[in-house]
Formats: sequence, C-alpha cells, structure tokens
Amino acid sequence: MFVPVAMGAGTREATAPGAPHVLARRRRVRWSSFTPFLYLLPAVALLVVWVYAPLVQTFGLSFVDWNLIPTSPKTFVGFDNYATVLTLPELQQAVGNTVLYILAFMLFSLVLPVVIALLSRGIQGKAKTFYQALIFVPFLITPVATSAVWRWLFDENGGAIPRIAATLGWDLGNVFRDPALVMGAVIVIVGWQLLGFGVLVVSAGLAGISPDYGAAASLDGASARQIVWRITLPLLSPSLVFLALMTILLSAQWTYPIIDILTQGGPGGASTNIYYLLYQFGFRNFDAGLSAAAGVLFFLAFGLVAMLFVEISERLSFHDN
Amino acid sequence: MAFVALPAPLGAAPAGPGARPASRSRASDAPVASRTLPRLAIGHALLIVLAVFSIFPVYWMFVTAFRAPEDALSQNPFVWPLDFENIAYVWNTIPIGTMIANTFGMSLVLAVAQLFVAVLAAYAFAMWEFRGKKILFLLFIGSWLVPFQVTMIPNYVLVSQLGLLNTIAGVVVPNLCSAFAVLLMRQHMQSFPRDLIDASHMDGRSSWGTLWTVVLPNLKPALAALGIMLFISAWNEYLWPTLILQQSDALIQVGIRSFLGQEGNNWGAVMAASGLACIPIFLIYIVLQRYVVDAFIRSGLK
Repeated sequence: MFVPVAMGAGTREATAPGAPHVLARRRRVRWSSFTPFLYLLPAVALLVVWVYAPLVQTFGLSFVDWNLIPTSPKTFVGFDNYATVLTLPELQQAVGNTVLYILAFMLFSLVLPVVIALLSRGIQGKAKTFYQALIFVPFLITPVATSAVWRWLFDENGGAIPRIAATLGWDLGNVFRDPALVMGAVIVIVGWQLLGFGVLVVSAGLAGISPDYGAAASLDGASARQIVWRITLPLLSPSLVFLALMTILLSAQWTYPIIDILTQGGPGGASTNIYYLLYQFGFRNFDAGLSAAAGVLFFLAFGLVAMLFVEISERLSFHDN
Repeated sequence: MAFVALPAPLGAAPAGPGARPASRSRASDAPVASRTLPRLAIGHALLIVLAVFSIFPVYWMFVTAFRAPEDALSQNPFVWPLDFENIAYVWNTIPIGTMIANTFGMSLVLAVAQLFVAVLAAYAFAMWEFRGKKILFLLFIGSWLVPFQVTMIPNYVLVSQLGLLNTIAGVVVPNLCSAFAVLLMRQHMQSFPRDLIDASHMDGRSSWGTLWTVVLPNLKPALAALGIMLFISAWNEYLWPTLILQQSDALIQVGIRSFLGQEGNNWGAVMAASGLACIPIFLIYIVLQRYVVDAFIRSGLK
C-alpha cells in the first residue's frame, strides 16, 4: 500500500481500493484528496479541543500547585503531587473500593446474566419480548430519579426495604450512614441498573450462536453441562469480554451519580470511588494539581487494563468466524 | 479493537422480534432439555422475578407520587383513586415544566449535532483512503479510553473562559463529538453498497450530494436508532451538567437534585418530581421500545 503513494496524489486516489471518485474527472480527483479531511474536520477538531488537549493539560497540571482560580499563579512542584497522592489514605481507600465495586458489579453484569440467560433461553417469542421490555427499564432511568427512589426504598422511617428487613428481625437503620452497609446499598442500586442490560446482551449473544454446534455435540454424546462449558460459553466469549470491559471501564462512571447524591462518598469515605475522589480533589478542595496527578495515574491504569482486554478479546475472536 | 454490532438480539428491528428465533428454536435450538416443561417453568420463574425486581422501584416511585400526601408512608402496593396533589405541589414549587423543556431541547440539539458530526466523520472513514487514516481512526477509539473525570478540570476552565458557565450551551459544546457515534456510523457506512455510490458519482453528484441524497436516506433506521440512543444518553447525563450548572436549575438533573436537598423526606413530592423527570424517556421507550433496546444492545464492543 505504500507503493502508490510514491506515484503521486492523483494516481494514489485512482488506485486506492474503494475510493468512490475513481471515475471522476481530473478536477474532482484532485479535490477528493483533501475532501475526507474536510469531512473529518469538525469531529477531529472537537476531539482535540475537548479530549486530547485537556488530557495534555491535565498532564501539565499534575506537576503544578493550583487552586483553580484563574488569577492565582500555578507553581511548579515537580512530582510532589504524585508523591502526595500515592501516600494519601483516601486514595488507597478509593482504589480499594473501586476494585470491590467492579468485582461486585461483575456479579450483576456478567455472572447473573449468564445464568439467567442460559436458564431462560427456551423462552421465545412474545413472552421473551415482554420480559426484555421490562428488565431493560432500570437502564433508562435518569440517575437523579434512581437515587431518589432508592433513597426512599432504603429510608429508615417508612422505606419498603427496612420494613421488610424488620419483619425478618433485622434492624437496618440508615444504610447510607452505616459504613458496613453503604457499599452494599450502592452495589444493589447500580446492580439493579446493570442486570437487565447484561441479560439482554448475553441473550443477544446466545441468539447469535448457531444451534448446529450444540446439536452436533449432542449427537456425539456430549452432556448438557459439557455443551454449556465447552461450546456455548466459548462462543459467547465476545459478549462476555464486552460486558467485562464495560464493567471495568464504566462502573466508576455509573456509580458516580449515586455516590454524589446519596452518600457523598461517606460515611468516612466508606462508599467513595476514584472518580468521586477526583471530583472532590478538584471541585471541593480546589486542588487541581492533586486531582490531575490522580487522574493521570487512573488513566494509565485503565489504559493498561483496556489493552489487556483487547489482547484477550483478539485471542478469543477466532471462534465462530 | 473495534465497535461491532453484536448479533441481533431481538431480530432485525422491522422484522419483529421473536418471529425468527421462535421458529428456529422449535426446530433445533438447544437440543438438550431446554424445551422441556420444567425448564421452561424455571425460565419463566426466573424472568418473572427479574422483571419484578426491575420494575418494582419504578412502580413504587409512581405509586408514592400518586398517593395523597398524608398517606405517603402507606405500604399499600395499590393506590386508588389517584391523587394529583404531589404533582401539583411539584409543579407549583419548582419550574419543572421549564426544566423538562430545557432538558428536552438540550438533548435534542446534542443528539442531532452528534449525529451530524458523526455522519460526516464516518463518511470520510468509510468512503476514502487517505494518509493518516489509521492514526485519525485511533484518535477516535482512544478517546473512549479517556475518562471524562480526567479531563474535567481543563474542560471546566475552557468553558468558563468562553463565558459559558451556568449556561446550557456550556453543557452542550464539549460533548458535540461522540466518538462512539462516529465508530458506529462508520460501521453502517462501510457495509453500504458501493455500487450505489459509484452510480451516484457517475450521475455527476458531488460527494456532499451523494451523502445527502444516496447514503443517508438509506441509513434511516440506523440513524434513528443511534439518534434515540444519543438523546437518552444526553438526557441522563449527570456529572457535566452538575459541574457547569452550579448556580442554575435549568436542567432536570440539577433541578431535581436541589429539590431533593430542599424537600428531604417529603417522599410524595420527591417521587412526583423524579417520576416527571422520567416521563419523556418512558414515552420514547413505549413507542420505540424495539429500536431503543436494539440500539443499546447491538452497539457492542468485540
């Protein structure tokens, strides 16, 4: 593909596979050599201005001390912010919580959906559409409404959940002020939003697997369990990797509104996560440098995890092609 | 890594869900035991439990909203007659009509703008070969890995320099390009029949004319699905509106949050406000359910 480049722009256009203007008059051919860039310009400019330039700026901010006030000076402090942030107990707590959240959400976005989708795969047609329509609803609810309704459900004076718990002899109290229960409550709320989405993605994956494989294995004497573990789950792996990657990359985002509205990270940081911490550093403590340093570290960590997953999903992608 | 459509979950949207899987499953799907009666009973039981778990909080929100205020703590799962006092109270206390209209307008503008920007960029990626294509494409994929919280301080500073703090424009402008929409549109355009484009070209249409008269009219279902999804995402956006609109209750997310803070345990009113905030999305979902689910599920990442 490098050879035609040496032959000049016009020829390159003419030989490039799939170029639509192959048959164009000469004027058009020349025009088309920068046409795609015109089409790309708005999107790329927006990305550069609102994603990549800020990313570079964040990197720069991570080396200064600045309180977000435009008139106040930015003092260069070298790696001080990194040194501070790495020793902060709040950060360790937030990172630990984030990992716990991710593991817990895996149950709702991956494990339970696989179990539910496999056990209910015999249900088809109108019944399936009806169930799917209902279980997808939590995914569409506005975060403030989700938070409000769950605060009401968990309310210690008259909420439905503490009342049910009380009939079972368990005094829940105020879950959002209880360090032992607050994470569990947040997990239930976000898990509630994820579960239906997970079931639908896994069901979609199952529907895409040709039944011939299972039928053939069954003829060869494979048991139901063997078919699930050896055929269905491996063929489902693209959907599963997708859900796992979504959970890892986005669970901190999904949790953020719930934490912000219901717990503010408390009590004593028991329910905080890394993004809420970034918000607090930046917009509560007005310590832009600290927030930026932590942000850079999280960005690198998530980048590594994502690359790992891409690697895994590429290894898995030979199935069923 | 690339965004790809996962296998259609509910059948192709227009064909009607269920029709194809149903006929197929009778024939040969899941040969082992999954069609037997106990299996089906287990499946139905599981899905009923899941559906109740999914719907109950939403149902409870509306039940509480429609109770008379003095019955707010009632645990009766049914409410009749419906009492509109809570809704009237919300309507008279906060400008919720304006908030909903603002949020609707904001989401609509954002969805249309994101679609427009994405269509142009996807068109370039799908129809041309050019130098730097790979790098530019990586720019879009890579942006997916930059969490918004990492870039929020510089973005906030830029929005404030532009004088857009506490304005809806400040919420919209930084989100005009959705990399996700670009990647999804690119996929749709790549599978567009090339013959049609060549024919349009031989008719003397410019690439711009081809886009609007040939490509886009044929991508209407995909555009509609993506547009709905972008609209719902914009409606449900939380972090950025709450940062930008700190001294304004113009959008529903911010407005309801302050209402929550003021009304505390006035559950009837709080549930009424939350329910009102959900109604536009529910209406879209009721009318276009298949498209909505399809759009969210098929836009997978493989």
